[in-house]
Amino acid sequence: MNAFITVLSAEIMRRIRSRPFLLGVALGIFAIALMIKAPALLGGALTHASDAIVLGGPPALTSRGAELLKKDFEIEATTTKTDAPTMQYLDSHNKAGALVVLGAANRRLTVTVYARNLSFVNRKTLKTDLMPLNLAMSTSASVAAIDSSMNIPIVVQGVDTKFTSEQASDAAQAIAYTLLFFLYISILINSQLVMTSVAEEKTSRIAELLIASVNPTSLLAGKIAAAAVLAVIQMASWLVVGYFLSGGTSAPAHGSDVQSASAGFGAITANISQLDIFAFIAYFVLGFLQLSTLFAAFASMINRTEDLGSVQMPLVMPVVAALFIAIYALGFPNSPLVVATSFIPIISPFTMFARIAVSVVPLWQIAVSLLINIAAVYFIAIAAGKIYRVGMMLYGRPPKLSQMWATLRG
Amino acid sequence: MLSVEHVRKSFGNLTAVRDISFKIERGATFGLLGPNGAGKTTTMRMILGILTPDAGSMTWDGARIDGKMRRRFGYLPEERGLYGKMKVREQIAYFGRLHGLVEPEVSKRADYWIEHLRLGDYASRPTGELSKGNQQKVQVACSAVHEPELLVLDEPFSGLDPVNADMLLGTLKDLRSRGTTLVLSSHQMWQLEDLCTEFTIISNGENRASGTLAQLRAECPTRVLRVEPASGAVRGVLDRVPGARAMGNENGAVDYEVAVATPLPEILRELVAADAITRFESIEPSLHDIYIRATGA
Repeated sequence: MNAFITVLSAEIMRRIRSRPFLLGVALGIFAIALMIKAPALLGGALTHASDAIVLGGPPALTSRGAELLKKDFEIEATTTKTDAPTMQYLDSHNKAGALVVLGAANRRLTVTVYARNLSFVNRKTLKTDLMPLNLAMSTSASVAAIDSSMNIPIVVQGVDTKFTSEQASDAAQAIAYTLLFFLYISILINSQLVMTSVAEEKTSRIAELLIASVNPTSLLAGKIAAAAVLAVIQMASWLVVGYFLSGGTSAPAHGSDVQSASAGFGAITANISQLDIFAFIAYFVLGFLQLSTLFAAFASMINRTEDLGSVQMPLVMPVVAALFIAIYALGFPNSPLVVATSFIPIISPFTMFARIAVSVVPLWQIAVSLLINIAAVYFIAIAAGKIYRVGMMLYGRPPKLSQMWATLRG
Repeated sequence: MLSVEHVRKSFGNLTAVRDISFKIERGATFGLLGPNGAGKTTTMRMILGILTPDAGSMTWDGARIDGKMRRRFGYLPEERGLYGKMKVREQIAYFGRLHGLVEPEVSKRADYWIEHLRLGDYASRPTGELSKGNQQKVQVACSAVHEPELLVLDEPFSGLDPVNADMLLGTLKDLRSRGTTLVLSSHQMWQLEDLCTEFTIISNGENRASGTLAQLRAECPTRVLRVEPASGAVRGVLDRVPGARAMGNENGAVDYEVAVATPLPEILRELVAADAITRFESIEPSLHDIYIRATGA
């Protein structure tokens, strides 16, 4: 049997049953389930604690005030009560968050809020909602007329954007944000698995036996391919669970932030384009190949697994930087920094993907970026292969930079 | 035939192998001897392609050794290592597959080695749970499961208890009888003397002596003469032999190192005339003696 296939299948079988892999899958599923279901589970409590109110004051004011406030608050009841309520009173009104008392003084509206929690008091929303009532009291115009005149229809249209509406743009940003984290976590975790595997083989001294049995390139390639397969399995399991738990919903129901997060998975199918899917897969593969090969080469230089942390630091730093630039790219996809970094290997899998997800990237830029990354994979593989071959047999003091350079040139 | 010709290998400023050459016939059992740091492991690693020589050439049956050919070789490194969590049978089969074996042959061979090395009780257990001796047996099985044409063993007896050492010796003799060419390095000279048909002694990365034990002995310029009793008269005769050097007493006998060309009948006549001689023995140099002389240790 081909040595590469042998290593690949053995690595998959060995890793798929390993605790770190199973734990990674389980934790990922748990985190996704939590992300999707927690807002729904906590939703009732959150609503009652923040949105539900009892409206107090003269019926003439509370009836008109309720009309204005109902678009942002749940009005549990209206009452003539104007003094401070007890906690039991709020609890008895479906655990309302506050008693909002409306009054009049000098032809102006007065508002007193007795809140269960002081952080509830959203002055701006209350002020905006009740403004027509306040104006009506001072001008004798009708509340409805004022409310109507305050509603100015605003149409937002993007320039050089791939989205036709704000909602689509917001959904795409949320999706891109989610996928970006998937990309980051998956590339990093699985590259580190390759690194650990190489370090284990070196420190357990089985490396010498392996390299005598199989070409180091086949060994390394088999390892990396196995990690890629496992990464895909891991990510697919997360996405499938995420999709089914979210029930395939395609859009946030109430427009709140917590719900938009839970709607992200369902929204993927509705808002993601074929180019996004292609970019995600292509940049995952390219980013993973670059990083895992480098991680493997660095791991081959260490003598103890305890040294792994110190070797991976210089590799993790650019990836973290890439993630931050990519997050920035979601908001400013055409800034010079973002455009420039979308052509730099290791960083571009994150930044270019972010740009593609939220903006219209010229095809030539995507093509050039892909070509640069493919070339980078090739050259990194050659360099890492040389370091790996020498590193796996190197025990004792770590090599000097000059020795590494000589190895690369050799 | 394995032919190693004028190979050299350096690591930075350190030259591990300066100039080493030897030839090993197919089916031979070859001992590569030398002190620590002589270049044995580096030479073995070059044969197996783990390291690339800076100069020189290596051929197997006249053809340059390449990756494909190396899959027909086996290796037992000095530093033992296995996948601790992999089960014994899986581990042996895995190395079989790495060397090109396929089912059902690979399972059959794995089972043969498990039985042959009496590992049956541990076949389904993770290798890391086995005793050191049993792990060494697994390692031997991993290196030989594909019945290699050439098996290179670096210090195979180090760390083995007498029982396991005997087991390994028996296994190697078995492999030899089936035509496997063996290359061994060891510090336990008595085991190599018993097993190997040819030797090369190296020191400081260079050849010092090569050949069969008989050839090495023939090249040795001295012999040890053991005479009993260890009396003053006997010593007096031996001290007069040109170039003779007293080496010590052994169970009432005296040992003298004398040149190969020394006329022994003449000395014997003189000894008999001087005392009542009960023992007169010319001892061939052992591999150990040859090794000590060749390496200058």
